[in-house]
Order: sequence, then structure tokens, then C-alpha cells
Amino acid sequence: MTSATTAALASEVSPEAQLERIAAIGYPTKRDEAWRYAPHAVLSRLSFGPAGAIDGGMLSEIDAQIPALDGPRIVVVNGVVDEARSDITALPVGLDLSTSGHRSGVADRRAVPPDSGGEPVADAFVALNVAFSGDGVSVHVAAGQHLDPPIHIVMVSTSAGTHNTSCSKLAIQIDAGGSATVVETKLGAGSEFGGANTRTTISMGDHATLEHIVVQDVPSTQVHLSRTEVTQGVGSELRARMFNLGATYGRLAYDVHLAGEGARADLSGLYFGSGDQTLDQQISVIHAAQNCTSRQAFRGVLDDESTGVFNGAIEVRPGADGTDAEQSNDNLLLSNRAAANTQPRLEILADDVACKHGATVGQLDDEAMYYLRTRGIAVDEARRLLINGFADQAVHDVGIEVLRTWITQRLGHDDE
Amino acid sequence: MLHVKNLTAAIGGTPILKGLDLDVGDGEVHAIMGPNGSGKSTFAHTLAGRDGYEVGGTVTLDAADLLVMTPEARAAAGVFIGFQYPVEIPGVNNMYFLRTALNSVRRARGETEIGARDFLAIAYEAMDLVEMKRDFLNRAVNAGFSGGEKKRNEILQMAVMQPRLAVLDETDSGLDIDALRVVASGVNALRGPERSMIVITHYQRLLEYIKPDFVHVLVDGRIVESGDHTLALRLEDEGYADFVNHELDHVPGRPMSGAPT
Repeated sequence: MTSATTAALASEVSPEAQLERIAAIGYPTKRDEAWRYAPHAVLSRLSFGPAGAIDGGMLSEIDAQIPALDGPRIVVVNGVVDEARSDITALPVGLDLSTSGHRSGVADRRAVPPDSGGEPVADAFVALNVAFSGDGVSVHVAAGQHLDPPIHIVMVSTSAGTHNTSCSKLAIQIDAGGSATVVETKLGAGSEFGGANTRTTISMGDHATLEHIVVQDVPSTQVHLSRTEVTQGVGSELRARMFNLGATYGRLAYDVHLAGEGARADLSGLYFGSGDQTLDQQISVIHAAQNCTSRQAFRGVLDDESTGVFNGAIEVRPGADGTDAEQSNDNLLLSNRAAANTQPRLEILADDVACKHGATVGQLDDEAMYYLRTRGIAVDEARRLLINGFADQAVHDVGIEVLRTWITQRLGHDDE
Repeated sequence: MLHVKNLTAAIGGTPILKGLDLDVGDGEVHAIMGPNGSGKSTFAHTLAGRDGYEVGGTVTLDAADLLVMTPEARAAAGVFIGFQYPVEIPGVNNMYFLRTALNSVRRARGETEIGARDFLAIAYEAMDLVEMKRDFLNRAVNAGFSGGEKKRNEILQMAVMQPRLAVLDETDSGLDIDALRVVASGVNALRGPERSMIVITHYQRLLEYIKPDFVHVLVDGRIVESGDHTLALRLEDEGYADFVNHELDHVPGRPMSGAPT
């Protein structure tokens, strides 16, 4: 693997300066809308620093978990590229995969995503990511290139070393007219408390197309904080599919900036909680240009004492006429101790805007249960059928069959 | 094969069935007719095992006590109910649902499960019976189906399940004449010496297509008159008015026996 630091990943902001910024920002609190349902006591136990040593034995359990997708794969463990588990031997024409290989010492950790240099950051975790992320992975699709096999980025977190939380970063750039599929799989190993703080920045040129699938399934002993920031050019099309499954606190933040006229963003997701999990979706779409279209369709299935959060924003900037935006959030509660918190936030500062949103929270349909049971299907099986039927909206259009099967099996569904 | 004795059912203390008696023999088709609110659907769902009723009396199917069984156990015992309002189940594939249903009852009976390929042959045969296109199997159960498609899907399920006793609750409601013909011919094809049917309907129209062996009139939670198919024609002419608020002074013979307690 090449370990050349690309220009795109370099930055002049020193770790020391970043730490000062973190101190100035402070940790989020319950008063921050975006962190209202986060378990703050748990977050306070996360410790950040340079990546620690990796327990090789602990990692063997990971191999069986990684979905076996065709195409190039980069595995990042605690922010450090694991070359043995990666496969970039046969890269298609038009794809550049690179990593910035500073492997040790705070002083070397200078690689940051391209746009984060002097910009204000969303919260302290972004600043921590900038300060402590290890190898940055960069995916670059050249103009006009259509890449068929998915590019698989696997981020593995283990609670090793003196700091229990690792930071990883990924930069995706699709140049004008290019198209690609990128799958981000977040997994973990070990049974210790720990966390991961990942950040993905995506830049889409004019008429670029990207399918971006994020699967989060780390162990329930871990915290997972995932953040994605997308900027879309004229006529570009983003299809994002998010599966928030693992972690004691699993957070998927996804911000889309529709900067070019006629850009389209289609976001959907599924969160599937049990035990005392909190699964948090923080979604934001900014319409900053005319005639852009956005869709947000998120579903939650919540069992036991789990909590689901959907905080979805549609912001229509002045002048963004012709905006067509829709948002829906539907929740299925399987237990009377489970909770769904749904909050649509619409800020519309343009005329000629079509904006729709809706949210539901419900339980398994008694009539449907009865119907299935009259067909001989026992209670447990009938529940499973109905739950998977509800989740299917988010799963069925994952085009990569291996991944769709992986997800349905994870949901406890053995349909063929 | 089915014996219903002094069956009562109430919801929240309000009695609906007030001592219903019915005997159904092997291979017989019984029609139950009655005005709205007489308890026809409640009777069907009491046989199928819906929650929420306070039930009394006895119901036996081939000597087994149905009333103590769960809905799924009744299905395994051979009871099938065709719903008046089939339930839409988005996201659940019709084929997967049908095979799960068939294999669930087979498992419960200690029979071997049917694999995907063999099941397809069973499903295709059943679909031909109700003139369904193959792509029905790949759609979600009843989701977005027209009224006629939903009822045909019920008969399709019945054909796959091959029940011992089929209870068809207002299968004709909401059907145009073409759909009615398809549904009725499907039902007729499934008639046989080993299968009994209870056909519940408000109108005589269905019985022009499915000729019953017996017709019963259900009023206010009791069967108040029984006869052959000519009783249905009489009802069509005279309506239910004669039976409503009208104490009968005689109890018709087979297959019902004295109702009032």
C-alpha cells in the first residue's frame, strides 16, 4: 500500500492548536439540541489520544464479521491501516485510493480532511477527530469514470492501550461526472468499554453520482460516533443508506450541503435497538441552490429499554427556489420501556418550496399478528415477520446482494 | 366433524353470540346468513381464536376441543378462516408468507417441511385456481391489492393450506361479478369429502355460485332457522324482517338443535 500523504489530506493546523480549540468548544451537554439524548455520563468516560497498540489476537474475530464484498477494501484498525486485511491489488482505472501514513507520535498527526483547516467545527468530537485521527483514507474517483465494484472501507475499533477511543477519517472525492459506490462498515472487537469517533467528508463534483452505505455494528460495550459531511455540485446524485445497529450509544450524523443547482440527495436509514442501546440519527440537509431535491426516510425498531433518536433538519436557504424536500420517520416499539424521540426541524427561507414531513411511533399491529397466527404461524415467528417487513423499506433497495444478506441476517431474518 | 354447542361470545360484557348450535358433517357446505350485527363475523372469529372475546359453550373439531387452542394451533388442527377484510402486511413477501404458513402447520403436525422448489409447484397450482398472475407471489401480502385481489389471495391461501374446515367470512363483500365468479369457482374446486365449509354471507348472491348443503339464519346471536338452499332464496325475497324480534315457536331439525336456553 502506498503511504504517500496526499495534498488533499494535509493541513497546517497543529495538534496543539486543535487541542486548544477543543478546550474552547467544550464537550456537548444536554442543552445542545443535537446531543440531547446522548448518554453524557458514558461519553465522559471516553479518552482520546494517539492510537494505541493493537492486540492481534483480538482482531481474528473481526475477519469473520466483515461482509465479503467484491472490489477493493481498506481495513482501518483504531485509525491505523491494516495492510494485511486490506486488498487494493487490482484497482480499476480512474480510482485512486491512498492513505496518509503517520503511524506514531502526536507531532506527526497532521493529516486532516481537506476542508477542516481553519473552519469552525460542529462539536468537540470533530475537533478531537481532527487532532487524533490516524491514517486518513482518501478515495478519489476521476472525472467521468464509472466504478462498478463497491469500494469497501472497514473501520474497526478496539479498546486497546491507554486511550479507549480511536479516531478515523475518510475523504471521498468524486470528480465531475464520475460515479461510485462506497461502503463504510464499522465493526469492533473485544468486550472492554471503548469508542470510535469517525469522520467522513464527501465532495461530489457536477453530475457526480455516489451510493454511500454506512453500516454500524460495533459491540454493545462500545460508543460509536460517526459523522459524515457531504457537499454536492450541480446535478449530482447522492444515495445514502445508513444502518445503525450496534454500540451502547451509536450515533450517525449526516450533513448534506446541496450547493449546486439540481442536486439530489436520497437518504434513508434503519436503526434497530435492543437492550439499553441508544441509537441516534442526526440528519441535516441544506438546500443552498435552486431546484434541488432531498429525501429523508428513516425507520426505527426499538425493543427492550432501547432509545431511538431522529433529529432531522431541512434548511432551505434564501434563493433556493424550486426546492423539493421530504422527510419521514417511522418507529416501531416492541416494548413498553422502549422510546422513540423524533424531531423534524424545518427552516425555510425561500419561496416556491415543496416541503413535506411526517413521523409515526407505533407498535406491532394486533390485527396483522392475528392474521398470521390464523395461518398457523406461531407468535415469535409472526413477530419476526412483521418486524422484518417494517425494516424492509430500508433494506430492500441495497443493491449489493452480499451486503443485503449480511444485514438481514444481522436483523435475525433468514429469508432466502 | 365440527360440533358447536351452546356457543356464547361477549365483548366487554356485551353478549353477541347467545347460545349457538351447529353440527357440520364431513364434506358439507353450510351457509350462514343474517342481518348486520347478528354475530356472523364474531362466530367466524370465535372459531378461529381471536383474542378479546369472553367465550362459553363447546366447539369440537374431530373431537378436539378448539376453544382452548391458540389461533395457530387451530390452523394446525385444520381450521382456516377467510377474512372479510384481509390484512395488509407491507414488506412481507407473499411467497415467503405462504411457505412459512404451510410449513408452520406441517411442523406442528409432525410432517416434513416443504422446500422452495416443491412449494413453488404447490403455489402455482393454487394460483391457477384463482386466476392469479405469477408476480403476485413477489408482492407484499395484500399490500396495495384491490378488494378482489385480496379475496382471491384468501382463497389462494386456503388452496395452499388445504384445511379440514374452511370458514369464509363474507368472502363476497366488495367483489364485482367477475371476481365473485373466480372466487366461487376456486372455492368449488376445493370442495371434497374431507373438507367442510362454513360460508358466511349477507346476500344470497354468493350462494348462486357456491351451492350450500344447508342454510342457517343467524339472528341476534342464535340460529333461528335452518333449511336447504331454498331458504336462501326465501330470504332474498322476504328479507330478514320476519326473523328479527320474532320469537320462534319451533326448533328446526338437523343440523341445528334447540337454541334458546
